[in-house]
Amino acid sequence: MGIINRAIKNISKRKIRALLVIVALSISLSIMVSIPAGLMANQKSTNSMAENLSSTITDTSESINQALNQIDVYMSSRYAGFGFNYGDTPPSPQSGDRIIGGNNGNNNDGNPGRYGGFGEGNIPGQFGGINDGATPMNQSLYMDIAEISGVAATVAELEVSQGSKNQTTSMMGQTFTTQITDYTIIGVELKSEFTSNSNYNSLPTNIVNGRNLQADDTGVVLLSQNNSAFFEAGIGDIITILDHEFAIIGIYQPTTALEELVLYMNLSDAQHITENAGYITTLKVYTTSSDSVDFVVAKIRELHSELTVTTGQQRLNQLETLQSTYSDVLENTQSSLAATQATAIQEIIVVVAATSLIVLFVMLYTVRERTKEIGTLKAIGFSNRAVMGQFLLEGLCLSTIAGIIGIVIAIFAAPTFSALLLPSVSSTLGMNAMVAGGTRVSMASVSISVELALFAFGASMLLGVVGTLYPAWRAAKIRPAEAMRYE
Amino acid sequence: MNNNVLEIENLSRTYMLGKQSINALINLNMHVSKGEFIAIMGPSGSGKSTLLNVIGCIDKPTSGKICLDDIDVTNTPESKLYKIRRNKMGFVFQSFNLLSYLSARENVELPMEGKIKDKTERRKKASELLRLVGLLDRENHRPQKLSQGEQQRVAIARALANDPAIILADEPTGNLDSKNKQEIIKLLANLNLTRGTTIIMVTHDIQVANNTERVLLLKDGNIIKEKEGLHLAKKQNMCPHCKGSIKIYDETCPICNKKLYEIEEFFTI
Repeated sequence: MGIINRAIKNISKRKIRALLVIVALSISLSIMVSIPAGLMANQKSTNSMAENLSSTITDTSESINQALNQIDVYMSSRYAGFGFNYGDTPPSPQSGDRIIGGNNGNNNDGNPGRYGGFGEGNIPGQFGGINDGATPMNQSLYMDIAEISGVAATVAELEVSQGSKNQTTSMMGQTFTTQITDYTIIGVELKSEFTSNSNYNSLPTNIVNGRNLQADDTGVVLLSQNNSAFFEAGIGDIITILDHEFAIIGIYQPTTALEELVLYMNLSDAQHITENAGYITTLKVYTTSSDSVDFVVAKIRELHSELTVTTGQQRLNQLETLQSTYSDVLENTQSSLAATQATAIQEIIVVVAATSLIVLFVMLYTVRERTKEIGTLKAIGFSNRAVMGQFLLEGLCLSTIAGIIGIVIAIFAAPTFSALLLPSVSSTLGMNAMVAGGTRVSMASVSISVELALFAFGASMLLGVVGTLYPAWRAAKIRPAEAMRYE
Repeated sequence: MNNNVLEIENLSRTYMLGKQSINALINLNMHVSKGEFIAIMGPSGSGKSTLLNVIGCIDKPTSGKICLDDIDVTNTPESKLYKIRRNKMGFVFQSFNLLSYLSARENVELPMEGKIKDKTERRKKASELLRLVGLLDRENHRPQKLSQGEQQRVAIARALANDPAIILADEPTGNLDSKNKQEIIKLLANLNLTRGTTIIMVTHDIQVANNTERVLLLKDGNIIKEKEGLHLAKKQNMCPHCKGSIKIYDETCPICNKKLYEIEEFFTI
């Protein structure tokens, strides 16, 4: 029988009131915990996005350096720059399979949307944005490029992305529907002189299982490890791609985030299953040496003015532009994160104030209601301090119970609460993260750490004491003679 | 060192009611010796409750001097007064003022909390006191499960918790029926006889007052009359009616056969 026992008895005596207070307190506490949890998740994904960006850029620039004698030739659609899938785009085989890149707000720098298609899994070393929105071209019309002097070889490729799920992202007041790419098919012209020569940068090199594609392989595919996981299939298994069956001949380890979704097959197989017979999206031209690149480029432009030609050097330049765009995106994200943090702090202040006020008013009411009891306690020899302690302890008990329940609620509801309360950063980040190569901020990743739970628990107890301080002081100041008269 | 447990000299208490001042007590003098059983009577507004509150250190006099057990408490600050209330005073209220969420024993333990650190000792003493008031078998009952008379007996046990110098009872029988009234007054009288507890009781009830040792009549803030009660005779083992010899617990006089706790109109207010 002590002060704690009395506090608990007093609380349990007024069950409905205690319940209401605990519900109100625990909800506001769980909100209070969810906000920092959401912020932490955002921060974490921003960091991983930054890491992803820098590693992607490093990997890409490495592979470009290795292939300075490679020229990419393709036909760009008139909307390719933005990567938007406008309704009046001329029908193209892959239009339905494209990610609709978003205009990110900070690309008024003359390179609009260059990164629009970056995240969709283009081949490494052939920089993402360049091929975005490429229009298929009739392969037979460009046979003459191989005849240019200084050209060692040409490799034709057809790239088609396949997706099944749609994702809606809202940003800056607009809603974008994006299709998540499941995998990207790249059909490669398999000639013995390329498949056996590592100078030709058309196929991945780090095979971890099985073997690489070889000349005249047909009905087989080379999967990335990510593809293998997606199809839930391994070496020798048969998978179905666009209603056609393929045997898995090899699995490679992707070197960049861009490569993760790419599966390789024979060009003719790709043309057949995508109903693009005779069409390609890219012609890779390899020169005999890097010295002859300029001459070959000039010649290709002379022969086919409708084509876009990029060299390794150009790709490096584009990469630099892209790099600066990315750092802008990152900066933007970080400043938006900072803004969200400011909002979060305001929200936390409101919640803290509300919580303290709930405790304050309930305890004030309780003190008023128990005036006679307080008078009795003082008359039989309780000190002011003992009376104050009694009420502080009751406030503390209420807020401790509410704290525990609040943390339990937060563990389950933190993703919902932080999505509701921190909308701006999540969507912006979501879009940017997608651009960065697949790191999406998922609110499901919001979780309550042990530290955060302990912090919230401490905070709830502190709030309980703070909210009860004034009522308890009022109780201590009650004069027993007056309290006796109070009914 | 004298035998007085309470000495009041020229005590005044003035309330401010808005701009009007009300003199509840005016130059009151009063002495109570150890072991006395005193009743204070008087009409409403005569200052009975104010006097009891001032004695009980829950109200402060405007002027005058008040000594409890040879300690001058007139100018003791509130921060120390609670100890005097705890150690020297025992309160019994008209409406019992038990904490409804505590058992009878827990209620009795309450005043001991600041004084006796040992839990078991507190519990033991509380049980002992409940035995004294005849409620040992009810010690785990909540107040609302007890009759009004039983509740007041728990309150009396609580008042005895810290072996106070004085028990202050404010209309202890005011809420009770006549049977319970008899029970309580007998209990108080016996406590006074057996334990020598000084009791100062405010009452409206002549029957109750009659059974004390000394009755003070208060009017307009001062004591205007004083009279001996039946209890004095009992203390002296003498029947107040026939002056024959009686024993402490006798209900009726063995000689003249008159009831020893009979109602007698001896005050006309």
